[in-house]
Amino acid sequence: MVLDYQIIAPADLHQEMLRLRAEKGMDFLVNLTGMDWGEEGFGVVYQLESTQTGEQINIKAICADRENPTLPTVSDIWDIANIYEREVYDFLGIIFTGHPDMRRIYLREDWVGYPLRKDDKPEEQNPLRMDAVPLSDETVCYEMGEDGKLVKRKNVIFEQDDYVVNMGPQHPSTHGVLHFRVALEGERIKKVDPVLGYIHRGIEKMNESMTYPQTLALTDRMDYLGAMQNRHALCKVIEEAMGVEVSDRVKVIRTIMDELQRIDSHILFFSCLCQDLGATTAFLYGFRDREKVLDIFEETCGGRLILNYNTIGGVQADLHPNFVRRVKEFIPVMRKGLKEYNDIFTGNVIARNRMEGVGILTKDQVIAMGCTGGTGRASGWHNDLRKLRPYDAYDRVDFKEITFEKGDSFARYMVRLLEIEESLKIIEQLIDNIPEGSYQEKMKPIIKVPEGTYYSAVEGSRGQFGVFLESRGDKFPYRIHYRSTGLPLVYAMDTVCRGNLIADLVTIGGTLDYVVPDIDR
Amino acid sequence: MFDFSVISQWLHNLLLSIVPEWAAILIESVLVALVIITLYAVFAIVLIYMERKICGFFQCRLGPNRVGKWGLLQVFADVFKMLQKEIIKMRQTDRFLHDLAPFFVVTASMLTFACLPWNKGAHMIDFNIGIFFILAVSSVGVVGILLAGWGSNSKYPLIGAMRSGAQIISYELSIGLTMLTMICLTGTMQISEIVEQQAAEGWNIFRGHVPALIAFVIYLIAGNAECNRGPFDLPEAESELTAGYHTEYSGMHFGYFYLAEYLNLFIAAGIASTIFLGGWAPLHIAGLDGFNGVMDAIPGIVWFLGKTFFVVFLFMWERWTLPRLRIDNILSLEWKYLMPISMANLVLMALVVAFKLYL
Amino acid sequence: MYQDKSYFSGLFCGIKSICIGLKTTMREFFTPKITEQYPENRKELKMFDRFRGSLTMPHNEKNEHKCVACGICQMQCPNDSINVVSEMVEVDGKKKKQLVRYEYNLGSCMFCMLCVNACPHDAITFDQSFENAVFDRSKLIKQLNKPGSKVAEKPMPARPAVAKPAAKDAEASVAQAAPDQAKAEKPQPATDEATEAKAEN
Repeated sequence: MVLDYQIIAPADLHQEMLRLRAEKGMDFLVNLTGMDWGEEGFGVVYQLESTQTGEQINIKAICADRENPTLPTVSDIWDIANIYEREVYDFLGIIFTGHPDMRRIYLREDWVGYPLRKDDKPEEQNPLRMDAVPLSDETVCYEMGEDGKLVKRKNVIFEQDDYVVNMGPQHPSTHGVLHFRVALEGERIKKVDPVLGYIHRGIEKMNESMTYPQTLALTDRMDYLGAMQNRHALCKVIEEAMGVEVSDRVKVIRTIMDELQRIDSHILFFSCLCQDLGATTAFLYGFRDREKVLDIFEETCGGRLILNYNTIGGVQADLHPNFVRRVKEFIPVMRKGLKEYNDIFTGNVIARNRMEGVGILTKDQVIAMGCTGGTGRASGWHNDLRKLRPYDAYDRVDFKEITFEKGDSFARYMVRLLEIEESLKIIEQLIDNIPEGSYQEKMKPIIKVPEGTYYSAVEGSRGQFGVFLESRGDKFPYRIHYRSTGLPLVYAMDTVCRGNLIADLVTIGGTLDYVVPDIDR
Repeated sequence: MFDFSVISQWLHNLLLSIVPEWAAILIESVLVALVIITLYAVFAIVLIYMERKICGFFQCRLGPNRVGKWGLLQVFADVFKMLQKEIIKMRQTDRFLHDLAPFFVVTASMLTFACLPWNKGAHMIDFNIGIFFILAVSSVGVVGILLAGWGSNSKYPLIGAMRSGAQIISYELSIGLTMLTMICLTGTMQISEIVEQQAAEGWNIFRGHVPALIAFVIYLIAGNAECNRGPFDLPEAESELTAGYHTEYSGMHFGYFYLAEYLNLFIAAGIASTIFLGGWAPLHIAGLDGFNGVMDAIPGIVWFLGKTFFVVFLFMWERWTLPRLRIDNILSLEWKYLMPISMANLVLMALVVAFKLYL
Repeated sequence: MYQDKSYFSGLFCGIKSICIGLKTTMREFFTPKITEQYPENRKELKMFDRFRGSLTMPHNEKNEHKCVACGICQMQCPNDSINVVSEMVEVDGKKKKQLVRYEYNLGSCMFCMLCVNACPHDAITFDQSFENAVFDRSKLIKQLNKPGSKVAEKPMPARPAVAKPAAKDAEASVAQAAPDQAKAEKPQPATDEATEAKAEN
């Protein structure tokens, strides 16, 4: 959809945001995108949403000073802005005054320049560094002084005598190359500081020099367990921007594929959680069943993990003749598998003891930290985009949005397990009546998106996956920003883990269900 | 039933006829030590192979099947690899303690290993406080683990070792109480006598019926915990502490920990089969003389190994089914459940013995 | 041990749950195993026909391919994996572009299908080979057109967009031939020329 926005001057920004939060109930900061508008200056696009009314407001703040861009922080209004603003600072060098932790987030601390600035030349300023990555125990906070000059203040992350354990970047339970610095008191966690960027590939920067079809290939490589949905979101935003309407067949195919992907992802969630909690056998049962989903994908899409299926205006290839049969065979197998998972793990007294009451997130917390998806629903936040703003074929199927109230690890686990069942139901309803039609709309050889700002989101495997696209009418996007589903979850780690045992960090991390390449885009 | 002491006596006499008595005893000791070490290595290999295969089968896989027929040579290949590997010397570790730790662990398990009754007349260490001795020397292993954690001067091993200390010391109580329960029934602590009594009067698990069964189940749980095996493997909790107390070890030093882990499993199973399932004693059913005759024809060592591997299988089944406990769960399981139950069980057994209710 | 239950009912529920778990694993112990024994099942192992193994250029029995060296695939490739080297030759008085070498770097290919989708003559396609491991990275740079091959005179009619069973046999033969070719070539000159060609572009 086209993003309508109001422009607010930096001086009034904080006041206005406070007002929107209080008066309009804008309690959910959906997305925050740093922008380089060239001569206009740098700026940020804030996308706000009210969880009560569903109303959305988009705000644009521009700071014209290209030398020392500053904006007031909103991290005191929405918790999640903390990590989003760090990302903007990292890539664009906008300093957020009043932000408690102005560190780089993805790039090395000694990185020179801000790569998403259009005039930045990262290769020239940053030769290959062979020394160790510096990791400071201190951070800085900038305040706007009386005279309009920035005042720098030091903030401490870890005290001198903190017992800091490094979990990662190579660690069995971080699900990839994620690095937590964990301050312990005995076995109790005092603080968690996530260090990101070990596999950051700069996909957003790469996208700026790619044609639209080329950008598609990279989305599969972000959240590899939501490859289908990621690509779906990007195709959706481009199609909406160009005014392309895909056929009914494509809509149904995309819906089925998204749900298969969700099943795939949730089985992997189950398996990895079991592995994290030491139930290695259950881990392999999950993988045994996931293999069947991957086979279905491979037959139709030609890939197992990197699927490459959605294209602008359709899908890469029509459904394979065996597809329907295979899916129908898979559904009962999956149901049987689910029963087995429940027998071996869900009901198990040890697993229950380790998950129940551990790592509680309240509804207010998940909204403030933007933890969408299963994590949010486990705390009672109805955030399923498939229900809120049905896209594709979701308005014609009947399924339940699984929510829990407790918000502990067990609720997060159950949400996902029950969602597998719901996804199976959706597939069952659609698989027998896939409408006829073309699987690919006729597109121009060179795809150009009309000038404007667009945003579109789908319900990914682990939350709202959104794509922010600004186009200047070229065949290259001017800026693409992905709303990562995992970044809020990793940010939540500090809040959830405090006061729990170090063994709970593994449980909590497992149930939050983040995927690292999605965080380190 | 074949009595192994015939052979040992013959050997002793043979040696006495050539050399003076002190030399004969020296030679015998060396021989016994060699036998122990060989058996130790052989059983480790058998157990590792068995664990991998069984774990594979529980997990819908085939397990190792590449090296040799059915992967039989896989473990040999792994041992060979481990022997070749460099033992990395790290700066800032307490070298002495760091290097000493694996030997503590191995020595403790070897000493316990020597107590097992292999056959009638084939005990290496056998004296009137055998069970006591087993309890005492098996606890030495925890010193090794604590040293490993401390000497590594690294955070994961330290946490792992501290957990291990708390866990093993707690579960020692349950083990001790279950053994006490059985001693209550047998009236002796000498291992050979315990077994011979069972050969004569039936296995303890049948003789002691309800309390013996409860004790057996508790022993299965606590024994797994004593071996630091899943679901009690949190000293080395892979997903939390990477490898726990042996994170910083490499090569054969790591190999010793690995070896000791599997041998401890065998020892725990061996002790269970000794005090509950009758050691080398064959299965007798009163009244069926023909059946008993057939059972007697099977050598004692086969009985002992058969029972032991059956218990090992139970341990593995337990390990590959359950998720790992958390440290506070482990301690509450011990102190709030296993300990009170085994104490009540001890009283129950005492009543059974006092009123001669055993079979 | 469930938190909301009393001591004894919690204990018995716990024991029951563990027994259910033990029963489940014991049942799996005897079910058929799912392990695929890879090198042994090479014969039966059939990849799905849409699987993207590596890029190939099907040749017909007269050693002709369909590539007219237009270079669209090269332009489409996000990773610069394709390098089309062409020369201008004079045929019947008309200047015409002709393919000299079609270089494909399997090492940097990300199998996005853009080249195959873009090709106006269906000259390239993905085959189902998956045993692509080599010891030297330079061996991953492959020449797709066979030595001595030339462009087919009459471009065959465009294939249906989904599957191409007709091209399959050719693909299979190419799949076998391609690695041999790569081996036969000396890697050094190939890379040199590749860089030269890039400089020209």
